[in-house]
Amino acid sequence: MTLGAKLRGPGWYRAALSQPISLAFSVGLVAAVRALYGYDPVLDGNAITTVALITMPIGFIVGIGCFDYWFRWASGAPTVPEDHSGHGAKTWRDYFKVNTDHKVIGIQYIVTTFIFFILGGLMAMVIRAELAQPGTQFVDPNTYNGLFSVHASLMIFLFIIPVFAGIANYVIPLMIGAPDMAFPRLNALSFWMLPTAGVMMVASFFADGGAFATGWTAYAPISTETPIGQQFFTIGVQFAGASSIATALNFLVTIITMRAPGMTFWRMPLLVWANFTTSLLVVIATPFIAGSQFFVLLDRSLGTHFFDPAAGGDVLMYQHVFWFYSHPAVYIMMLPGFGIVSEIVSTHARKPVFGYRMMAFSLVAIVILGFTVWAHHMFVSGMFDWMRVPMMITTMLIAVPTGIKIFSWLATLWKGVIHLTTPMLFALGFITMFTLGGISGIILAVIPVVIHVSDTYFIVAHIHYVLFGGSVFTIFAGLYHWFPKMTGRMYDEKLGKLHFWLSFVFFNLTFGPMHFVGVDGMPRRVADYADQFATWNAVISVSSFIFGLSFLVFLYNMITSWRQGPRAVANPWRAHSIEWQVSSPPPIFNFDEIPTVVGGPYEYGVPGAVHAVFGDKKAPVKPAPAGGGGAPPPTTE
Amino acid sequence: MGRLLRKRPALGMALLSGVSTAVGIVIVLAIDWFPVQASTASPQIDTLWDVLMIASVPVFVLVMAVALYSVFAFRAEPGDLSDGEPIHGNTRLEVIWVTIPFIMVSALAVYGWIVLDDIEAKQTDPLIVNVTGQQFAWRFDYPDEGKVKSTELVLPEDRDVEFRVNTDDVLHDFWVPEFRLKTDAVPGLTTKIRLKPSRIGEYDVVCAELCGLGHATMRSAVRVVTPEDFDAWIAKEQQSETDGGAAAAGGDEAAAGKQLFTETGCNACHTLADAESASAIGPGLDELSADAEKYGEQNDQSPEEYVKTSITEPDAFLVPDFNAGIMPADYAEQLSPEELDTLVKYLLSVSGEEKP
Amino acid sequence: MESGAAALGGVPTEHEHHHEHHGPPEANQSSRVEAQFLGMLLFIISEVMLFGAFFTAYFFVRVVGDASWPAEGDHLPVAIAGVNTAILISSSFTMHWALEGARNENRAALRVGLLTTALLGLTFLIIQINEYVHIGFAPADHAQGTIFYGLTGLHGAHVFVGLTLLTFATIRAFRGHFTAKEHRGVEVPGIYWHFVDVMWIVVYATIYIL
Ligand code: HEA
Ligand code: HEA
Ligand code: HEC
Ligand code: CUA
Ligand SMILES: [Cu+2]
Repeated sequence: MTLGAKLRGPGWYRAALSQPISLAFSVGLVAAVRALYGYDPVLDGNAITTVALITMPIGFIVGIGCFDYWFRWASGAPTVPEDHSGHGAKTWRDYFKVNTDHKVIGIQYIVTTFIFFILGGLMAMVIRAELAQPGTQFVDPNTYNGLFSVHASLMIFLFIIPVFAGIANYVIPLMIGAPDMAFPRLNALSFWMLPTAGVMMVASFFADGGAFATGWTAYAPISTETPIGQQFFTIGVQFAGASSIATALNFLVTIITMRAPGMTFWRMPLLVWANFTTSLLVVIATPFIAGSQFFVLLDRSLGTHFFDPAAGGDVLMYQHVFWFYSHPAVYIMMLPGFGIVSEIVSTHARKPVFGYRMMAFSLVAIVILGFTVWAHHMFVSGMFDWMRVPMMITTMLIAVPTGIKIFSWLATLWKGVIHLTTPMLFALGFITMFTLGGISGIILAVIPVVIHVSDTYFIVAHIHYVLFGGSVFTIFAGLYHWFPKMTGRMYDEKLGKLHFWLSFVFFNLTFGPMHFVGVDGMPRRVADYADQFATWNAVISVSSFIFGLSFLVFLYNMITSWRQGPRAVANPWRAHSIEWQVSSPPPIFNFDEIPTVVGGPYEYGVPGAVHAVFGDKKAPVKPAPAGGGGAPPPTTE
Repeated sequence: MGRLLRKRPALGMALLSGVSTAVGIVIVLAIDWFPVQASTASPQIDTLWDVLMIASVPVFVLVMAVALYSVFAFRAEPGDLSDGEPIHGNTRLEVIWVTIPFIMVSALAVYGWIVLDDIEAKQTDPLIVNVTGQQFAWRFDYPDEGKVKSTELVLPEDRDVEFRVNTDDVLHDFWVPEFRLKTDAVPGLTTKIRLKPSRIGEYDVVCAELCGLGHATMRSAVRVVTPEDFDAWIAKEQQSETDGGAAAAGGDEAAAGKQLFTETGCNACHTLADAESASAIGPGLDELSADAEKYGEQNDQSPEEYVKTSITEPDAFLVPDFNAGIMPADYAEQLSPEELDTLVKYLLSVSGEEKP
Repeated sequence: MESGAAALGGVPTEHEHHHEHHGPPEANQSSRVEAQFLGMLLFIISEVMLFGAFFTAYFFVRVVGDASWPAEGDHLPVAIAGVNTAILISSSFTMHWALEGARNENRAALRVGLLTTALLGLTFLIIQINEYVHIGFAPADHAQGTIFYGLTGLHGAHVFVGLTLLTFATIRAFRGHFTAKEHRGVEVPGIYWHFVDVMWIVVYATIYIL
């Protein structure tokens, strides 16, 4: 291909070319508008940055080729016939192109989000280095504030939320017996919006005045006054949010319209249920964070008065709008994990999920209750007094549906045949650690207590118990569980267990003591603290370094096993759900023929139980010899 | 125990959980969680906390016990390809584990509500203290005690106090850990805290809401003193308030300048040896006269003019390595022209060679 | 690198796939609702929530903050905006007409319908912009101005998006696309357009009339 053709066709060349063009466009636009309205100087760095933050990502997405098909379609030009050239990956290079295959997109998501996890984690290491002793050692307060803000934003918007979308992307079409997602091109677009958001947030460190430094919550009015770095968050979140809404919409449509024959809602695996409910949350709640950031953006760049009390604005409005999204967001970050754990506990304990229907109902209950509790983040914010007690009650009631889940998993373990594989270990670790984090959540909901502990390290402890001990443990569990399916290879079980024990122990040593310093009076978001907290902080920092290193075990295991691990059989866990009935990795279009679902997904121990059958012409799986040591799948004929 | 567990797992587990729960409760109650109790709200909140701990331990122990027991009792032998019992549910169990948590959280919520009502109960004739947050310092004034202004919070023991919390700029949060109570300082609102100090001592006001660069160091002293000492302090402050004015008029400009420097909150950001401040958010002012000479020349200003514009329009000229938008830009409104002059003279006189 | 590449590429392992396979198997249609329709519906739900965020801001200024509405000394051109409302509502009918045209293979109705809808939408936008020019307050004047421009501007942006979709549909209609069976390209922008109209009625009612 000539360079000219490369620059015209979709791909990295055109994406690269789009960047100077977008920048030039931004400069031109700003100059034109400012000249028109008689501002001086005509070229204003902040205004250009703001516009460029919007045009450059769009330029990139267009350049890489997410819109080519739609542009042709919309202009009425003959569309390229569907030759599936954008489908499936033949070499590693295909992972760097716009691809419409849900399996490729799933892996693109997972790898990309882990890169941001590593970046966010390394920032946490700098945070801990700074906090190892009182006083200022490595970073000045401005950088410190930037570090934890970017740390949390990456972890939440670029890791937990999208990595769940990635896992679900890979697994859900297979689980429900669909050849792909409902809107494969939208799926690709969702993915490619994501890195732009992440790059933007990381790049904010190079902005004039430093990275955005107002926490991941970006409360007004400080976020409307800080330097230009804030804009990288305000706009970055829009891209991450749009990506998240588009994926959720895609999941909902896929799950509603593309289930295999016989796959009623009550026969769906709980992971599908979990993503169904999560997607509802995303579609309904995410526009609120978009709104809150629009307000900040407008106040910052056009001088409007959403948050200026002197002109009639209202500061607390920000928090209401923000938390109306961000509380549901914590369930967006947890429900898919609940789904993963249900799969793993049942499969690796060889028992049907206890109380399947209640498990599904409890997800729905959490979604509904989740919309009624946002102000529990505002108990000390000076908001309406009357709202506090009702919000305390609804918040505490969430213990009931969540309890249903915890107890049902325990009942599933009871009298099972428990295989302590790495995924199972992480699932068990999750159950105990999340219970602890959930209990601290209940404590936080009790207003007189939270008046004291709000904005302290007790909150930081809660965050990490539910997000690391909760969500991240389920992510690890899920990745180990589906690793053979995704890569066709088996991971190293010994290293997996080592990873579990190291992270379990040092997780607790890192985040456990934060409860103590928090209640004792150490506020969060500080680069410097009183000497009385020095000992615990030193312990926390040292543990956190080892905890961080334990991740290297995981990374090493994943990379080497992916490259040269033993080949995996189709169904190493002898699971019943459909994704395990096809080869590992699955064929390019998932199925030769859509399977028919004839029973529940977890009928372990029920003699002769089958979840899905494939057409009788060909068996979907030829049991392969090497690999994880499971027996041939029981369901093939 | 081991045999019991194997023979009657449920009974054995109940026993095991009972013992662990007891141990757990002893541990959580033995931990010294809180700072000292210095207000009447503290014991109530601490008791509530203990109750929450007592309620939480059995929940956690139960989860751990079932999980651990299952792992040990039902672990698969290597090569075991059998399945577990196909139990799909048990309505009675499910009803139990919906009902019990429901009752527990409802009871705790009611108890929490009662405590909340108690600590926020109306007071009779409280001492009113206005609290104002500003990046990055607190100011206090006592409107009913002759408008005393102070950068230190002094409170009488055993008297109801109502704090009315405001802010000049962004969100802050007024918190004294020993009192257990906090509230955000919200632009456009006055938030309130009511309490009764109950222990003589010195504590810190901590800013608990991220407010920018100096958030970590936004601290002020609180002193709880006997009512007599409090009255004496008020009298003294009233005196020095008049003195300060008199000094400014009468000539003790250095004392007046120092007071202005601390009371306006400059010490929150600037190091100045004479005023005993050591914060490093803004440039140090110990060498200001030299700097003013140098930067003043660059801007065609006399040193005095330079310092004055530095205070009234901080962003007009930026000291190298410092950013715009950090130093508050509204001192021209906060300070009268005379006060401004006093401050400028003071700053130039205490910095550099001609230190008094 | 090669072995890694092979693994990454997901080379079919034991299960040698049929090389001459032409495409995915037909997905099972498990719901009577069509995917595109459902997708648009969900998108609209999330759009409604975005408006919800802006209405929350409005609520805080006007109800919680108890501000006068409109701000002291300002006037909202209720009548002109009312005429504009009528224009937008009538465009919903022309849209419906175009869709019926597509369903009945009535090309003229389809083309004229789409074109009129787009023109009516454009008229609406122009009147709205004209209103901004003459209204006498700016978004940066006070919170009421901020919310007024915020809500109407957000809606205007939606009209703009709707117009873009309509333009595409119109181009395709004039190029001879769409048949009685295959007219999703008219139906889906149509749903969006109706949503934009309904949303305007809510916006108009709350900020001009109430
Ligand atoms: C995955 C994310 C996640 C999850 C799942 C949760 C779950 C919960 N959270 Fe948490 N929360 C966060 C992430 C999460 N949280 C974050 C990030 C913040 C800080 C934001 C910031 O300011 O930066 C926060 C802050 C936060 C606050 C605000 C504190 C403050 O800033 O002042 C509160 C207050 O009510 C709270 C409560 C709860 C509750 C009640 C639950 C419940 O859902 C927990 C329910 C679970 C259980 C209770 C355990 C299992 C149940 C049983 C075993 C049954 C029996 C139990 C009982 C009878 C108690 N959380
Ligand atoms: C999913 C979410 C998530 C995750 C996974 C983490 C992971 C970690 N977090 Fe984070 N954190 C948050 C979400 C998360 N955090 C949120 C929401 C906040 C609130 C922010 C706010 O106030 O706005 C917060 C705030 C926060 C603070 C409080 C800052 C403050 O208030 O001043 C601290 C302090 O210790 C901290 C520490 C850590 C540590 C040590 C990890 C570790 O688990 C990280 C481990 C990972 C790695 C280390 C990277 C991978 C490892 C390698 C590549 C190997 C190389 C390693 C070494 C060289 C050591 N976090
Ligand atoms: C929130 C922090 C903050 C507060 C409070 C603050 N300043 Fe500053 N000040 C700064 C910063 C940052 C700079 C450097 C940037 C600049 O020049 O504007 C600065 C610069 C200055 C300078 C110029 C210093 C030089 O070396 O040239 C003077 C003089 C000064 N401040 C005086 C004051 C006085 C007097 C007060 C109180 C009335 C005050 N500042 C309060 C942050 C602060
Ligand atoms: Cu003031 Cu933090
Ligand atoms: Cu919450």
